[in-house]
Amino acid sequence: MEHNEILEKIAYCIEFGKIDRNSPFPPNMKGQDGAGEYTRQALEKGIKARDVLNHGLMQGMDRVGRKFRDNKIFVPQVLMSAKAMNSSMEHLMPYFTSGEIRSRGKFIIGTVMGDLHDIGKNLVSMILKGNGWEVIDLGIDVGSDKFLEALEEHPGSVVGLSALLTTTMANMKETVEKIKGNNRDTCVAIGGAPVTQEFCEKIGADIYSPDPQGLVDHLDQRFSTG
Amino acid sequence: MSLLKYPDTMNRKQLFEEFASGRGIGKIKLFSPILMHFAARHIDRSYAAFASDYRVLVEANIRAMGDFGMDMVSLISDPYRETAAFGARIEFPEEAVPRCIDKVIKSTDDIHSLKVPDVYKNERTLDRIKGAEEYSRILKGEVPVIGWIEGPLAEACDLAGVSEMLMMLMMDPDSSGLLLDKCTEMAKKFAAAQVEAGCDIIGMGDAVCSQVDPDTYSNFVMGRQREIISFIHGLGARVKLHICGDISHLLPLIKETGADIIDLDWQVSPGKATEILGHDTILCGNINPVLIQDKPPDEVFLLTEKLINENSDRKLIVSAGCEITVDTPAENLKAMARAAKSL
Repeated sequence: MEHNEILEKIAYCIEFGKIDRNSPFPPNMKGQDGAGEYTRQALEKGIKARDVLNHGLMQGMDRVGRKFRDNKIFVPQVLMSAKAMNSSMEHLMPYFTSGEIRSRGKFIIGTVMGDLHDIGKNLVSMILKGNGWEVIDLGIDVGSDKFLEALEEHPGSVVGLSALLTTTMANMKETVEKIKGNNRDTCVAIGGAPVTQEFCEKIGADIYSPDPQGLVDHLDQRFSTG
Repeated sequence: MSLLKYPDTMNRKQLFEEFASGRGIGKIKLFSPILMHFAARHIDRSYAAFASDYRVLVEANIRAMGDFGMDMVSLISDPYRETAAFGARIEFPEEAVPRCIDKVIKSTDDIHSLKVPDVYKNERTLDRIKGAEEYSRILKGEVPVIGWIEGPLAEACDLAGVSEMLMMLMMDPDSSGLLLDKCTEMAKKFAAAQVEAGCDIIGMGDAVCSQVDPDTYSNFVMGRQREIISFIHGLGARVKLHICGDISHLLPLIKETGADIIDLDWQVSPGKATEILGHDTILCGNINPVLIQDKPPDEVFLLTEKLINENSDRKLIVSAGCEITVDTPAENLKAMARAAKSL
């Protein structure tokens, strides 16, 4: 199999959520190799880990993000794609550790205080990881202080705040104020069902997107090294 | 009560029947927002008390009905009544939504061993049934009472976790189906108990459905929702289906469930919904609750007036797209009510 062909196989498996040979999903790919096997094969064939990441994983997750944004796929399919991506990522982890491949940046994420709904946060985390970001997931119901502690540990990170409920959305304001009060250059992205661009501007956050792919596009623009 | 050219002698239940029959189109507008935390605070009680004591819930709703001119009362409080009956431990923070602190379903074995509980023997499900009885006692059948159940997919997600359940739908259709069947059975039992206790309408919350694709909804959820709805119809009650978020992609399938009232969140156009659902289905919605919370009362009035004017030829119950938030000023809810009544 040519290098381009195997990278496309990885992207395809991630796009359609084929984790590995044992996975029964999607039914029309039952018994076939998945993202995990193709990633291992790619590395064994000598394809550079960076190319596997850029032209396999990121290519696949980019398609997933766009299809999700356009309502061509929904949450269950994105979750399966993320699982397939994780299966690939396991093979790449040693290359991250050794420094052979580097993440595009660090992204600290959590749902704001009082909000226990993690599905949106998880989707954003998965799509960011698939696009080469290192994600520090603080979980749910995260207070301002915990975000500040994480920023101290990972300076220069982008911070993402998620809220599903109108009631908890209000807590974003306080968190943004504390983060900006600590370091006004910290880039803060917000998202979630009740959140709007107007609200983003009102509370002084930097990025709002209604969907994960939009966030990736914003980050690409903001942090592109040209 | 919101009526135009209708006799004052009609009580709210008679008015609703007139509205539901279609005879009141253009003449009757009903106002029935979803109140939970807001209603609790309105009577200076905590959300914890509202969710755990039917007397507080009933008092809060009846007071809100009087103060804001609402046409129905409800038993909605939080998603974890059935989950508690299935065995989950629930915490009640004073001023936040109750929390489910453990997952009942952690493996396929758990699905097989899961027993559908007796709704009269669990404190949380019994509390809601007692709430329905209390409404009947106080309101004497003159106001439509909306009971509440979790839809099959929402309940399965409450039991197993949202991500876990949605992935199980993809990876293990048989186990997913078994769990959904048990949730369906539970929904029917809980609905039957609430109808028996006096509910006229059963609200079925299947919030997570907006996050799944039409095929998944069709294969796993639609038929089970239809089964529950048909069962409730057999008991003589109506059904209001509540799915949070944008359900535009599911509307043709939702039509097949036979729900009498469909809640529309603010992302869904009532006009487009009517094109798909037809004029017989009652719509309920759909002003963005963030706007109701944040805008001044006169703007809320205008938003409500606009909604009513744009939907004067269809059966639309005036409401927010989802729950009225706890921080919504009372004057804003009164402005909604005024707009509903003045037209």
